[in-house]
Amino acid sequence: MSLQPDSTPDTDTGTFNNQEHPKTNNLFKESFLRILKSKTSVIGLCIIIILLLTALLAPLIATHSPTDQSIVNRYQPPSVDHWLGTDELGRDIFSRIVFGTRISIQIGVIAVGISMIVGVTLGSIAGYFGRWIDMIIMRVIDIMLAFPSVLLAIALVTILGPSLRNAMIAVGIVGVPQFARLVRSSVLSVKETEYIEASKAIGARNLRTLFGHILPNCLAPIIVQMTLGIGTAILDAAGLSFLGLGAQPPTPEWGAMLSDGRAALQNAPWVVAFPGVAIFLFVLGFNLFGDGLRDALDPKLKD
Amino acid sequence: MKKRYLLMFITFLFMVALVLSGCTDDAGSGSDGASDDANAEDQGQADEDEQADEGSDDGNTLIFGRGNDSLQLDPAAVTDGESIYVTNQIYDTLVQYEEEGTNVKPSLATDWEVSDNKLTWTFQLRDDVKFHDGTDFNAEAVVYNFERWTTSAEFTYYGAMFRATDDNPKGIIENVEATDEYEVQFTLSEPNAPFLNTLAMAAFGIASPESIEKHGEDFFKNPVGTGPFIFEEWVPDDSITLTKNEDYFGEAAKVDEVIFRTIPDNGARFMELQAGSIDIMNGLNPQDIQNVESDENLQAIYRPSMNVGYMAFNTDKEGPMSEKLVRQAINLAIDKDELLKLYEGIGKPATNPIPPSMWGHNDDIEDYGYDPEEAKSLLSQAGYGDGMDLVLHTFSNPRDYMPQPKVTAQAIQEMLKDVNINVEIIENDWDTHTSGEDMSYDMKFLGWIGDNGDPDNFLYYLLDKDNATPDAGNTAMYKSNEVHDLLIEAQSEPDQDKRTELYMEAQEIIHEDAPWLPIAHTTPPLAANKNVKNYVPHPTGSEPFNLIEIEK
Repeated sequence: MSLQPDSTPDTDTGTFNNQEHPKTNNLFKESFLRILKSKTSVIGLCIIIILLLTALLAPLIATHSPTDQSIVNRYQPPSVDHWLGTDELGRDIFSRIVFGTRISIQIGVIAVGISMIVGVTLGSIAGYFGRWIDMIIMRVIDIMLAFPSVLLAIALVTILGPSLRNAMIAVGIVGVPQFARLVRSSVLSVKETEYIEASKAIGARNLRTLFGHILPNCLAPIIVQMTLGIGTAILDAAGLSFLGLGAQPPTPEWGAMLSDGRAALQNAPWVVAFPGVAIFLFVLGFNLFGDGLRDALDPKLKD
Repeated sequence: MKKRYLLMFITFLFMVALVLSGCTDDAGSGSDGASDDANAEDQGQADEDEQADEGSDDGNTLIFGRGNDSLQLDPAAVTDGESIYVTNQIYDTLVQYEEEGTNVKPSLATDWEVSDNKLTWTFQLRDDVKFHDGTDFNAEAVVYNFERWTTSAEFTYYGAMFRATDDNPKGIIENVEATDEYEVQFTLSEPNAPFLNTLAMAAFGIASPESIEKHGEDFFKNPVGTGPFIFEEWVPDDSITLTKNEDYFGEAAKVDEVIFRTIPDNGARFMELQAGSIDIMNGLNPQDIQNVESDENLQAIYRPSMNVGYMAFNTDKEGPMSEKLVRQAINLAIDKDELLKLYEGIGKPATNPIPPSMWGHNDDIEDYGYDPEEAKSLLSQAGYGDGMDLVLHTFSNPRDYMPQPKVTAQAIQEMLKDVNINVEIIENDWDTHTSGEDMSYDMKFLGWIGDNGDPDNFLYYLLDKDNATPDAGNTAMYKSNEVHDLLIEAQSEPDQDKRTELYMEAQEIIHEDAPWLPIAHTTPPLAANKNVKNYVPHPTGSEPFNLIEIEK
């Protein structure tokens, strides 16, 4: 259980939080059980688990090398040898999608990681200290929000230069405002609670109050946002790769595969259809699970 | 709650206002470049456009779909095919190419003669031609145009074809003089064999001096020539509309209107053709040829081959690319027959820079062939046996001579991996790719479509040291004095047999030095509705549309 270590510090603060509900002593255990009750989020979870396993075991699952070309065998329809057919250079589409899972998960986790670290830091500083610091940070965030996210990502990649790494950075930066706003509003409400006053009365300094007491109580929305953010991040990154601004050949990135197969759309639809389905499943999985998680962690919906 | 509805209503009003203002903005920017009286007709044009958009049923409008917008409608200032496509309709040149092939026939000039020393050319001009703005075409107008092209380096083709430089802005044309109302005389500083053919290039279309004076810097948005179609409207990145010139001195157009529509994606453009919203498209994906042929409403039309697609090696860059052995090794490491499969039948493997259909092609030169072992030994001889990293620049949109640039790049990446060369592919859009700003490439995809049917147009422009600058044609930055001497000699040699010999020799040296990996000569496919008749694509890449008919 990867959730276990996280839950330890939380039960500490949870003693303040959950006094009205003495029967539950673990927020996460309770939430998890509630997720299992919702069918859609279970489906989402299953998709995510399958994708994680695929990524982990890619070399065992793939039937061919993802980059081996055989130009003579280009545009082969799905068959026993090539389960999902071959692409414009005769590469096995199934194997490319399988290895592409690794790249997609990598993009999702790293991009959202960047968004979260930067966004949470900015948001909590803005929310906690308020006044002019809040003013400056949130206006910058507002400026970022004023741009359509994909447009901003394209602009960033153009400045940084097209590569998978830069695409992840760009998608990460684009996701910062969501986290910053979310965390700021959570911090604003938690800041006013009595246990924070109590910790200040004991003499805790700003840093300790912020990172030791306030942030752990904002974890739930952050986790939900991360789950939902992974879906959006992979979609944005696929868009960038489709435009040639993300993964560079021969990397089997799904968006790039879509883009490369376009020329034969009418004759060999499988070349674009299957990477499209892969992106769809990935985003669907994380969105379903994220939605379920949000419902489960929403204190208003308790009982 | 009431408040909320009010708010929604106001928001809705704002949206409607925004959408409406968006519409008027568009129409405004479209006529931006047009002259004032065109503005007055704006409403009328918009109506016409709508009719045209409803489909090509209306028989008299020819809609041509293509991948990129024109850069400028001033043919002397551009080298891109998409601009030339349009200027070909608006302007005429002194002489023009025959419908098929690159022999010249009379156009604005009816007759011409050259002095015995090949230095003085005298042209008799037509006396019945008017520019679209109503002014008369005469010898003074020709002189005005040629003098204009010497005033600035932006007139790329003048410099490239007549060897004009900053120090010698006139190049080899010493003097252009109106010797009579309808007679113009060119005096050259040295004989130039391709001279007459060069004058037929679309780049040297004669524009109205009065309109050039009137519009100044903005002339490229307000083109005025003598051609079969009159410029009407340009909506950037969307469409260019031309109407028939009733007073055309040649064969008047069979259609009333031509609209060039920009549809960037080849597949999307093909779907529009299938749906009937465009009449002709260029840049058909070779994979779609079979779909055209099996569709009873469509026809595939092939442009005669006069092009070359190649990968240039940056011979100027310090490191492996400056070594002849490495360049030869890469030539040996590429399995061209395999690579050509990606052309889906429209390409022939290239050995030389000039296409085999052109005179002067050296048939005796044997291609390097595919021999990875030999390539490896050449590489170790050059000291790169342990492998190296190279950067390959490619472009995103397909071109006639390279229908699948990104896929071709990946195939080459894979082939070079076998000889321990690690290729990083960098893909840019066409403008960035050709801007010449980024010279960090080791290898770069490019191609060339011949302009005037003369080998000089390939070899001198693409491989002479005179043109080895980032913004000129010699992308390989190949600087060979031997080749330069041969090419300059061939330019001033009037006898075609002797010129052929000189070009043969130049091709041998080029083959040995291997500044390129020549890839393919293609027969570019176009597609059109079955009811489009008399469309004869010209090998130079574009042609006037006055003979095209649309059958009802």
